[in-house]
Amino acid sequence: MIFNSLIFVVFFAIVLVLHAMPFSWRAKKVDLLLASYIFYAAWNPPFVILLWLSTVVDWFAARGLQQAEEQWKRRAWMLLSVVVSLGLLTYFKYGHFLLDNFAHLASLAGFRYASPKSNIVLPIGISFYTFATMSYTLDIYLRRATPARSFLDYALFVTFFPHLVAGPIMRPTELVPQFEVPHRATSDQLRFGLALMTLGLFEKVVLADGFLGPVVDKLYNGIAIPGFVDSWIATFAFSGQIFCDFAGYSVTAIGAALCLGFALSDNFRFPYAAVGFTDFWRRWHITLSAWLRDYVYIPLGGNRHGEVRTYFSLLATMLIGGLWHGASWTFAVWGGLHGLYLVAERLLRKPFSGYRPGCAATAALGLFTFLLVNIAWVFFRAKTFHQAILILSGMFGRNTHAVPVLSGIYLLTTTVIISCLVLAHCSMRSQTLEAAIARVHPAVLTALWTTMAFAIVIQHGESNGFIYFQF
Amino acid sequence: MASSISSSEETVHQKQDALPSGLRLTAANRPGMAQPVPERDIPQQPWGAMAIAVTVLLLLFTSLWEWKMRTLELIPGDLGRNTDRWAELRKEIDKRNVPVVIVGDSRILYDSDLDRATQLIGVRPVQLGIPGTSGLPILQDLADDPNFKGVAIVGMMESAYFDLTGSREQKAIDLARWESPSKRGSFLIQRALSHGLAMLDDDYKLSTLIFRLDSDWRQGVKGPRHGVWKPQETGSGGQVWLWRRIEHDRRFSEHIRYIWVHYEVPPEPLDDQIIRNISIGTKVAVDKIRARGGDVVFVRPPSAPDVREVEDRHIPRARGWDVILATTHSNGIHFDDLPAAQNLTLPEGGHTTRACATVFTDAYLRALVGKTAFLHLQLDAPPALSTRNCVPPSLTVP
Repeated sequence: MIFNSLIFVVFFAIVLVLHAMPFSWRAKKVDLLLASYIFYAAWNPPFVILLWLSTVVDWFAARGLQQAEEQWKRRAWMLLSVVVSLGLLTYFKYGHFLLDNFAHLASLAGFRYASPKSNIVLPIGISFYTFATMSYTLDIYLRRATPARSFLDYALFVTFFPHLVAGPIMRPTELVPQFEVPHRATSDQLRFGLALMTLGLFEKVVLADGFLGPVVDKLYNGIAIPGFVDSWIATFAFSGQIFCDFAGYSVTAIGAALCLGFALSDNFRFPYAAVGFTDFWRRWHITLSAWLRDYVYIPLGGNRHGEVRTYFSLLATMLIGGLWHGASWTFAVWGGLHGLYLVAERLLRKPFSGYRPGCAATAALGLFTFLLVNIAWVFFRAKTFHQAILILSGMFGRNTHAVPVLSGIYLLTTTVIISCLVLAHCSMRSQTLEAAIARVHPAVLTALWTTMAFAIVIQHGESNGFIYFQF
Repeated sequence: MASSISSSEETVHQKQDALPSGLRLTAANRPGMAQPVPERDIPQQPWGAMAIAVTVLLLLFTSLWEWKMRTLELIPGDLGRNTDRWAELRKEIDKRNVPVVIVGDSRILYDSDLDRATQLIGVRPVQLGIPGTSGLPILQDLADDPNFKGVAIVGMMESAYFDLTGSREQKAIDLARWESPSKRGSFLIQRALSHGLAMLDDDYKLSTLIFRLDSDWRQGVKGPRHGVWKPQETGSGGQVWLWRRIEHDRRFSEHIRYIWVHYEVPPEPLDDQIIRNISIGTKVAVDKIRARGGDVVFVRPPSAPDVREVEDRHIPRARGWDVILATTHSNGIHFDDLPAAQNLTLPEGGHTTRACATVFTDAYLRALVGKTAFLHLQLDAPPALSTRNCVPPSLTVP
């Protein structure tokens, strides 16, 4: 089930009503757990079994970890959890990719190998809930946390529908304690939660799907040779589309949880106002970058073993982050590019350690960051390297036979939306959304809320899946 | 030590004290530690009053929008080009014995009157036409379905039938094979809502309306305005017609006619190899259906002379229609050979009016009755119709 579908509206209304009933806290949690399974099964019922498998294996692995005293036993339990979780992820997400690459390598070595045809369907959200359950056993292995006392609380942490299929990637320490004690939204939490859901759905339905998606598809799904203007505008449109799609999902998820009285983590903090790439990754998909930092970058050595090792750890982490997004080398290049950006930033920090940029320089650095982020997005969106190179070539004005692709209205709407988006990010870069909302006059806020809700209603149409579902 | 049930709040609060007002820590600020329970503050605003105001204003604006959409002749119950509806019709073949199926592009889709067909042959055909697509993939899908043992009436506008570059057909077939409970549920809700709301029309959603403002603003690029604005209207039981507004609003009909004449059909003649491949593909599908005891017949719906001229430049009858019938050893009715289908009203040159769809259906079904064992004229069938039944006398060519 996706947030921008009519069935979700009905589903969520029923969940809200049931959660407001005078049932015991345990009954409400069972309600939420069942609702979450229905939410997941509504996409493809058999895949609920995977969710159960992941839940049960990590529950028992965590108990084993807690009871084991010898280090080798603890390591064995941790490995069991990691192998099962990553095994499922690898099979479903990377099975085709690995076989195709193996076949390619074999042909380079002179062997003939045709990978068997299979119809592996990627279970929705597997990357998200796999990381969530892994953080449970890894935190216990690293002695940062103790296992949840109740299986119900733990299962609800894994399955809780607002974050289940596309994050924010929650840690057990963030959510399990909330399920320990009764939670019910106050009236203001409910209303503010609905306002957040309106904002999230506006970003997704109206901006990402309605106005930016068609511009991106026109160029990235076409075969025309694009010029400078078309390449940049379509890529800007994609940067807006992916932000509005994913941040829209996160905001809707946070709003939905808030309507039930629960708090989810921030996942975005105005990333297009980032100055530098360390700053960008503290603002973009925060829960993933923090997960990769805690469970990949730091175990790889982080910044504790000298410069060279730090750069290696950074690059390896970002490459893994790239491949997490999809089983394609274009995603690896996207991750690798961000790794290089981060390495370059670290290298430049030393000679400029005493430099404090003024307003103009900060703005220029922010713009430079935004442009480099867009260059990386080309690899994220392009289906092939050939297409990515063609578009990059257009962005640098090197396509001599370029033809105009995007119509005037596409150029206009994208320019307006992206300018407003970047300006909004810049104006709120040093505060939270809540702090910004608190400063707005209620009449203005009412007008904005109404406009967004009305735009969602008149945009309607077929509900498109969220881009991050495929990851 | 932090735990799943008692997080490391002390550390967090210590750090938060140092934060500027309006900021809060995120996981990005807490490396290598258990993350605490997130804090979500509620901005100080009169949320209750605001929620009431938003609800009232939203209802008001939505009502005004609905009123505006109805003045544009959108009607409740029109599901537009919804593929879920098509998938639902396609699944009927798996549930029951379906004796007559219609496949093809928008020509046969809009030009067939299913009520009239029911009166004539005693069964209501399942309408599986999809606008802007070739009927071949659907025919192949039926050929591969052992449940289908009836007759397939294949509508053929050659430039659509011989064009397999689209993906809409396959998407529709895939949806008929697997539709998630979530998608199905959303469709049922949308259908229920659409009975009361005319505004739920994909061709009149916000972004589409704004994109259509572009009348070739940028030199060298045809804007979204050059698409077909709203071609069809759906009724109950799989019935689809040309949208009623196109019948009387010349701005709309001339706009679509311009697209048919200038953009829809490629100007160059179709490659022989493509014709061979499509013919072979059609023969394989037809043979499979016949091997099961079913049958396939073809129908060529009418085109206005100016549109026909463009179509013939791409694939004339001799290279398309005649080749398919000869290769597959099939019977068919071309509108050229159907006296009752001459001089029908085609507002935009490609599709008949609703009234003329009844006349055309009457004509082609009566003609097909003798050409396949699956179609029998009912004893109590209504009398035959002629052009006079749908074209004003002043416009009828004697």
